[in-house]
Amino acid sequence: MNPKASKENLEKLNIEQHEVNSSWNFTLRKGIMKTYLLETAGALQQPQASAVLAFSRKKDQLAAQGNQSMAERADLEKLIGKNNQQMAEDNNRNFARFMESVFTSYHPEVLVETVLWVFRTYRAHGFHATYWAANLNVWVEMLKKELQEDDYNSLYPFYNWLIIHIPICVKLTDQVPGKGSSDARHPD
Amino acid sequence: MTDLITENLYNQYLAFLLDGRRDKCAGIVQNLLNQSIDIKVLYTDLFQRSLYQVGELWELNRISVSREHMATAMTEGLLSLAYPRLFDKKKVTDQKNRVVVSCVARETHQVGGKMVADIFELLGWDSHFLGANTPVDHLLVHIQEETPDLLGLSLSIYFNFPVLKDSVEKIRNSFTNLDIFIGGQAFRYGGIDEISKWPHVQYIPSLSRLEEILETD
Repeated sequence: MNPKASKENLEKLNIEQHEVNSSWNFTLRKGIMKTYLLETAGALQQPQASAVLAFSRKKDQLAAQGNQSMAERADLEKLIGKNNQQMAEDNNRNFARFMESVFTSYHPEVLVETVLWVFRTYRAHGFHATYWAANLNVWVEMLKKELQEDDYNSLYPFYNWLIIHIPICVKLTDQVPGKGSSDARHPD
Repeated sequence: MTDLITENLYNQYLAFLLDGRRDKCAGIVQNLLNQSIDIKVLYTDLFQRSLYQVGELWELNRISVSREHMATAMTEGLLSLAYPRLFDKKKVTDQKNRVVVSCVARETHQVGGKMVADIFELLGWDSHFLGANTPVDHLLVHIQEETPDLLGLSLSIYFNFPVLKDSVEKIRNSFTNLDIFIGGQAFRYGGIDEISKWPHVQYIPSLSRLEEILETD
């Protein structure tokens, strides 16, 4: 909705001015949040070559191990919704390959846009924001255990960035002002 | 020619596509071909647009992944309806250029690459389309055997970027001066600047841009 929409047009469409303001504020807030994501992602440094190599070698094994850990959780369905385990496991394997791409040649806009796409798409399929927090923590623990300390330290900022920006990603992928599906409004 | 695909017609086609009505979709496509629609317009304004929209509907959880796959498979079949026109319209050129078009290894989305190969044919090239998930070693053998003037590589999913990078490096080691065009949905969020650093490699954002470049050369 154009925030400068004339009163006459709004009346024709039966839309109240406060709804326009709300929509405009929502769009503005989203713009600010996305700029913030891009700026903070832009501060991340391309990981050192040895870390990328170590990650590439272990990513498939770690994805399988992570899927096993998640499958053992009693609250899995609350995290991913009903009948979504296959989708969650595919997502986790793809996530490992995506992070390898990110580490191989880092472009902040690709990271931000892809993460938002994932949140938008998987939330539409019933995944809850808590899934990403749980899954990312599993990844951090596995990497800490499996990689050399300096390699881990080189990769960790990317996972930390993802973890601390989950709430913003949720806000940005809420669809309608006041009717969003953020988990804060739908606590389990 | 774009006027032939009205919003109403497009919406009808999309509804039939989602409903699995191959006969109805084929009827619409054949009717457009009978009206001499430009092939590139048919590809971009009907096939490409509808497949992008099908993808979005899956993203929004409005359709299942099986329905998305059905729509893709139907579209691949519908492309062949254009072939008699495609070869009929094929430009006659004195010098036959040859292109090899392929998806990189692990890349399973092939419709875009197929359309690219068809556009090359339309513009007078001989095109070899190798399809999805082509192992780089086999691609190298094919290049060795066919000595193309140009190689087209398609990448739809960004997480296959390391595979693309590895493939280009291997191709470059064996065929130093072979020109490579790269395109696909993988680059919708960026990564193009990385490609532009590679020698003799060009990013092609669309079928229209491909046509412009080939017609200029």
